[in-house]
Amino acid sequence: MPKAQLFITCLADQFYTSTLQNMTHLLEKLGVELVFPPGQTCCGQPLFNNGFEDKTRAVALNFMQAFAKSDAPIVGPSGSCVSMVKHHYPELFPAGTPEYNLARDTAARTYEFTEYLVNVLKVLDVGAVFPHKVTYHASCHYLREMGLKTEAKTLLGAVKDLELIPLKEEDTCCGFGGAFTVTYPEVSRAMMENKVKHIMASGADTVVMCEPGCLMNVAGGLHKAGSNIRAMHIIDLLSAR
Amino acid sequence: MSDPMHSSLTDIRQGIEGIRRALGRETQAPLTNPRPAVYPAYQAKTPAESTAAFLVEIGKLSGVGKNVTPASLPVDFSALVSENNIQKAVVWHSDWFTELGIENSLRSLGVELVSPNADKLEMAQCDLGITSADYLLPETGTLVLRSSAEKPRAVSLLPRMHLAIVRPEMLRADLHQVFAEAKDSHYLVFITGPSRTADIELTTTLGVHGPKNLFVWMMPQNGGSS
Amino acid sequence: MTTETIPYIGFEEYSEHIPQTIPAAVQQATSRFVGGRAARVSELPHWEQLRQIASDIRLHTIDNMDIYLNRFVEKVQAAGGIVHWAATAEDARQIVLQIAKEHNVKLAVKAKSMATEEIELNHALQAAGIEALETDLGEYIIQLAGTGPSHIIVPAVHLKKEEIAALFSEKLHMNAPSDPIELARIAREKLREKFLSAEMGVSGANFLVAETGTMVMVTNEGNGRMCTSMPDLHVAVVGIDKIIPDWESLTVFLKLLARSATGQKLSTYTQFITGPRREEGEFGPKEFHLVLLDNGRSKIMKDPIGRQVFKCIRCGACENVCPVYKNVGGFAYGYFISGPIGAIFAPQMLGTQVARELPYASTLCGACADVCPVKIPIPTILRHLRRRVAQGDEVAGPSMPVPIRAMAGMASMALGWNWIYRFGTGILPFFMSVFKRGEWIPSAPYPLNRWTKARPLPPFNASFRNWWRAHSRVARENTK
Repeated sequence: MPKAQLFITCLADQFYTSTLQNMTHLLEKLGVELVFPPGQTCCGQPLFNNGFEDKTRAVALNFMQAFAKSDAPIVGPSGSCVSMVKHHYPELFPAGTPEYNLARDTAARTYEFTEYLVNVLKVLDVGAVFPHKVTYHASCHYLREMGLKTEAKTLLGAVKDLELIPLKEEDTCCGFGGAFTVTYPEVSRAMMENKVKHIMASGADTVVMCEPGCLMNVAGGLHKAGSNIRAMHIIDLLSAR
Repeated sequence: MSDPMHSSLTDIRQGIEGIRRALGRETQAPLTNPRPAVYPAYQAKTPAESTAAFLVEIGKLSGVGKNVTPASLPVDFSALVSENNIQKAVVWHSDWFTELGIENSLRSLGVELVSPNADKLEMAQCDLGITSADYLLPETGTLVLRSSAEKPRAVSLLPRMHLAIVRPEMLRADLHQVFAEAKDSHYLVFITGPSRTADIELTTTLGVHGPKNLFVWMMPQNGGSS
Repeated sequence: MTTETIPYIGFEEYSEHIPQTIPAAVQQATSRFVGGRAARVSELPHWEQLRQIASDIRLHTIDNMDIYLNRFVEKVQAAGGIVHWAATAEDARQIVLQIAKEHNVKLAVKAKSMATEEIELNHALQAAGIEALETDLGEYIIQLAGTGPSHIIVPAVHLKKEEIAALFSEKLHMNAPSDPIELARIAREKLREKFLSAEMGVSGANFLVAETGTMVMVTNEGNGRMCTSMPDLHVAVVGIDKIIPDWESLTVFLKLLARSATGQKLSTYTQFITGPRREEGEFGPKEFHLVLLDNGRSKIMKDPIGRQVFKCIRCGACENVCPVYKNVGGFAYGYFISGPIGAIFAPQMLGTQVARELPYASTLCGACADVCPVKIPIPTILRHLRRRVAQGDEVAGPSMPVPIRAMAGMASMALGWNWIYRFGTGILPFFMSVFKRGEWIPSAPYPLNRWTKARPLPPFNASFRNWWRAHSRVARENTK
């Protein structure tokens, strides 16, 4: 029976409890034995991306130590958080040190959720039913840093009665960018409004994505624009019956 | 620093030495391994296919390309001159052009000929500049021209129209061949279509500072000596 | 060394005060170029291979720049060209002024050159009583308007034809119609007499080929040819980073440049100039000067990550896909090179005291890195420069304001010590529930008000950990 550790991410921890519950149920239904290391906090991405590399190390060490108690793979619902661990943790520590080796080991066994389903468990159809017109926003780090170009659409393609509608400028940034929303709020707003405009013009009643950060931004923007379009994390959509 | 006009070799050497130190390179260290530029180049086709492809590209660039023969030239020139109100023209000096009788054809149509060695103000009055080319690139519809007193750069630049009379043997498949043959030339210009800009509201406008019209006449192999 | 102070670049402030016409105009240009690029890229199935070769050649050249520069200088001199070294912008200005004075230059005609904008050459020439005229149509327009460029390839794209007509009418004392073709014709006429009478032509170069001492100019209008063929004197001002090894390398860059920039296969005119003319009747300059511009580039060479910015071939493809740039245009960057490449170039050239906001003018989305023909890792360099701003490095001390650095320190503690985190996230929902209205938090206190002014926050929840404890207890009981 495969075993996996839940990496819940600080954003989903704070704002998307139901998504994390759905992630738990979905993976257990697929026969995965789950572990949740409670010592986890955040991957450190907000500090790292903003140039506070020295201050990131303590956060990364906390993460790695929390997940070192088991050697099972680590699965998270965010491409950007997983990318932080996979691609940037080894950069934080000098080569040859125990921390560096721990980072290499942790990086090697951390997966994004859709990546874990499609590429590790080799599951393409989770038995979801979602009779709606759905459009997909391709999150930047998920797409470009993680290189996950087809996994989400493969999973959506297997959902019963789902009609996938193309989104104009599908892979254009929604303007979240972590701290960017508070560093340059007006530019972030303009980018968000551009994304919302395309979603509203798509003809879909639902927009789905694989990042809690993008989701916060887009869902809020759709609400502000007075739209009834529902914004969902792919995990919630795949849990629909 | 010393007199800027005579920036001595010392200043230059010192400046470059500063770069070497900044890079952390050892003195006299040889080049690290270069990456050769090896990749699939545009493939040579048969001369007929290349010629056809070349003329198609000229058309895409808003140039006008066609096939001509020595026998058709008088009619071609007559049409060109009357349709475009050509009053003054300047022509490259070349044995081939002399054989083809280009200057005579033009004179007989009432066109005034300006010498290619005329002063720039006079040449700027010309309606038409006629050149040949040294090489042609079919993938991009490019004319490659060297420069000399007999074949000055300005002939393809100053007049409002440029006519290039060329032959299939000038075709080269790709940049590699042209560069291999021409890199020691002190001047080369690649001409890929008429002068253009999109600077004003992205509206494409032809003939900003260079010629507005580009005509390319392709003459087959047996059309005169080389 | 110049003592002029460089003004602080307030990206946040500039980006909040842009006329709405600018993003709209910029987006028209960028979508045209993106479409063109896509069409040309699909014609070359080995496009990715070309990018990799180009990237490798550029890195190799940077690593060996001194050797290639030495080779280049020798060859230009052997071809009869005169080479100068300008350690600073002021040196470059003085060199060009001196050359102009020695030749009694009254009028200089300029082809489009980023290097001459970098050193602000026009001001210096004008101050010395020499008319310095931009001849590229877009540059001519913004010179008349007295503004900087809004886009690297089409610098006047933010101006409507009516505005340009009004500008021509005012500055050229005429009645100019609002028709782009007519306006271009007016510019052609006005500039032709200048090309034919100018004593000096000034240009930049796109590439310097070390193998033969050749400078390459990639243009479309013909003004580049005019500036370098009509006057008897040609002065080229070129950044040392333009050096490439040989003509074989040039094939790769010429395949990539126009396609990446505008979607053309090749620009209309590409010139390859090696020294002055050899015969009088052929046109071209009798005297050719090449000013190699350092202006801080050699300092940047010490930084192996930062110096990758010198791979740039100035195509503008990064701008065309950047969602930040497309919403603000070129002026917001406060530098003559804008967009993603500007955000990594300016902080290195001007320093992170003055340009500390620029590395943050990005969501690190990575769209730029995908299209860069020479594979500059722009997001990596942005993070590298953010490190310099936030915590400092060998090049400069931190320039991030102290309160923000303090907040980052607190965040690091809160996130690094999991009991602080759990405590904090445990009580946060209670505090934030005050601000909840229905399903959303429409307005939150500082610093989250900067979020909520654009869109509401979802409610703070953080109940997963409790849920898991119950869930796993049930699971354990079920397996007994």
